[in-house]
Amino acid sequence: MDLLSDLALGFSVALQPINLLYCFLGVFIGTLIGVLPGIGPVAAMSLLLPVTFSITPEAAIIMLAGIYYGSMYGGSTTAILVNIPGEAASVVTCLDGYQMARQGRAGPALGISAFGSFIAGTLAIVGLMFLAPSLARFAVKFGPAEYFSLMVLGLSILVYLSHGSLLKALAMAAVGLVLGLIGIDQINAMPRLTFGQLELVDGLGLVPLVMGLFGVAEILVNLERRVVREVFDTKLGSLLPTRQDWRESAAPIARGSVLGFLLGILPGGGAVLSSFISYAMEKRLARAPESFGKGAIAGVAGPESANNAAAGGGFIPLMTLGIPPNVVMALLLGAFIVHGLQPGPLLIVQKPDLFWGIVASMYIGNVMLLVLNLPLIGIWVQVLRVPYAILFPLILLFCIIGVYSVSNAIFDIYLMLGFGVLGYVMKKIGYEPAPLVLAFVLGPLLENNLRKALILSQGEFATFVTRPISAVCLAIAFVLLISPLLPRLRQRREELAKEE
Amino acid sequence: MMRVLLAAAAAVLVAGSAWAQAFPTKAVTMVVPWPAGGSTDIAMRALAEASQKHLGQPIVIDNKPGASGTLGPATMAATAKPDGYTVAQMPITVFRLPYMQKTVFDPAKDFTYVIHITGYTFGVVVKADSPHKTFQDLMTFAKDNPGKVTYATPGAGTSLHITMEQIALKGGFKWTQVPFRGGAETSAAVLGGHVVATADSTGWAPLVNAGELRLLVTWGATRTKNWPAVPTLRETGIDMVSNSPFGIAGPKGMDPKAVQVLHDAFRKGMQEPSYLAAIEKLDMANDYMNTADYAKYVLAKIAEEKDIIEKLGLAQK
Repeated sequence: MDLLSDLALGFSVALQPINLLYCFLGVFIGTLIGVLPGIGPVAAMSLLLPVTFSITPEAAIIMLAGIYYGSMYGGSTTAILVNIPGEAASVVTCLDGYQMARQGRAGPALGISAFGSFIAGTLAIVGLMFLAPSLARFAVKFGPAEYFSLMVLGLSILVYLSHGSLLKALAMAAVGLVLGLIGIDQINAMPRLTFGQLELVDGLGLVPLVMGLFGVAEILVNLERRVVREVFDTKLGSLLPTRQDWRESAAPIARGSVLGFLLGILPGGGAVLSSFISYAMEKRLARAPESFGKGAIAGVAGPESANNAAAGGGFIPLMTLGIPPNVVMALLLGAFIVHGLQPGPLLIVQKPDLFWGIVASMYIGNVMLLVLNLPLIGIWVQVLRVPYAILFPLILLFCIIGVYSVSNAIFDIYLMLGFGVLGYVMKKIGYEPAPLVLAFVLGPLLENNLRKALILSQGEFATFVTRPISAVCLAIAFVLLISPLLPRLRQRREELAKEE
Repeated sequence: MMRVLLAAAAAVLVAGSAWAQAFPTKAVTMVVPWPAGGSTDIAMRALAEASQKHLGQPIVIDNKPGASGTLGPATMAATAKPDGYTVAQMPITVFRLPYMQKTVFDPAKDFTYVIHITGYTFGVVVKADSPHKTFQDLMTFAKDNPGKVTYATPGAGTSLHITMEQIALKGGFKWTQVPFRGGAETSAAVLGGHVVATADSTGWAPLVNAGELRLLVTWGATRTKNWPAVPTLRETGIDMVSNSPFGIAGPKGMDPKAVQVLHDAFRKGMQEPSYLAAIEKLDMANDYMNTADYAKYVLAKIAEEKDIIEKLGLAQK
């Protein structure tokens, strides 16, 4: 009953015309920046932060939050249409989403990611309402040892990311790990692999790396193909997912939502990690894993749901403990402070109208996003009809603006172009960029937490197996790693049996 | 020949004074070497907003984060003209980093220091159910159990790390730093019981106010406004103040008149209610120093940082 009255209070705040307006503004801007490659929610939110000084705290937070979860909707659009992830969490969407578009199924791919995002976003809010305090308690149980094992689990799914040679995937992962080492070592504060370059001291940016490897490389490859324009024709009737599509997507959406929500609560790379893990999980569970990488709709539905649920889950540690789990949440924390509010255990008690108002606005925002995104699908599909001679320079321009907007550094633009060339070469010789990106994201976290865990345990490696959460993660990772070998072993055993 | 030289000198003088009277004729750029939306950025934006009406020209914030807050000042020193139209926020890492690694700037020579502004509030927290009731308790425990006290910091080489090690050096004991990535994770680490204590700026505030964490000590010269019951480091017997103070500087060789104009504008900005309200929310306190005092202070600070870094064994090999 309490919850109902709380929620009623929330809706009474969220439904005020002025708050509705800011909610719409937020999700609208979020959709836009999600679609534009490179320009992420961080850039947009920090630019708009000073603008919110003059409006009420409720409206400010509602709008800024809307930008964040709105951008998660839009991020898949360019991934599906032109193989450029709108943000890091959409990297895996490229794998099957772009293949679907090449088969003329861009509509259903966009449709299922919009519906999946809506369902996952809504489920995450329900989770936020019911479970926030207890889940936040669980999240702080994750110390360095637990994170290390979680990262091992994350890296072990590399096996499922490759649809070619496992050896090549591992080679790419190694490159990603090395690239992730560049910069100041977090434990000793010593620069590594920086070659005296000031720009390298903070390490390579994820955005230039992803934009280069995917976006610029894709353009270079297409330039070479000359006029052989692939037929991306989509009939109007097939804009929305079919009943068959839904049947294949329902379970991945549900699993992706739960997974993304749980990982979103944990600090560091939750949304990115959850999309990768969801993809690997769907491939593992699929009846036809060989269809992954060739346009399997489950490979779009799962990860897209996961990254949206993660966006919702990220609000939990911020609102209940005052601990922001990622950069976007840190920015939001800044916004709270500017408005004289202190998110933390006391927020729900002291400012129930604000807390529940934000929660209620997320329900409204998600409905707005669905209404906003479904009609857009028809327009997005038209983008594919734009001649390459116009489309490519535009994409390149947006990539450059996007990369520059993140760091205000020309260096990052060169970096992106460099990775573009690298990505082109990799494509030519059959190496995939996704394992590289995953290792690049997880590598530094893996090393940092390994060393911290060992500092805390005074050098005892046993800490990873004696701590239960850590042990469970490692056990799952172990099973994942050996499971591809099992069928072969069984086969071998059967063969042996026949011989006897 | 003589006449030409004289004429030239006169022309330079006239042009110089005319320029100085006119300064500033266009917007001034302030480089903030931290990401937009962070506490330093919010403080500097509030200061720019409050000062620009006194300056008569807009002050534009340019976020150039990187290299522990030294990328912005370093780039400015290397590329900007010393005409007063580009200044930068100068974090303490500018004085420290040159001793920890190779840098392209020399903090003693490459900048014109304008005005000193403020510093952060740092403090040490433990979990509310921790047996360590006071900072002295924690230090005594560390003395009896060398290396057993683990403390989280937002990163190695930060003021938090340096100060905690200085405290240990003074007290003649050892504790173990566990560097986390940035401020947010340190509160979670102590709340989850992974470390004994956390040394950080006021990211712990909501959890302290909610009674989940206990604030043992703050590191300012005086007790804080928000937690007046908590003693300072000096009161606990460690004669130190650590607040990572910062000010504003331009590239080397700035015209003293332009420096004066900028100093006066920022000085007045620092007294504006809008600015004072903003820094109070961030638990920062005004710490004004004029141009001459700040320049002197910087030289002393550089020598001090060199000394500490060498003592702690963090100097570049």
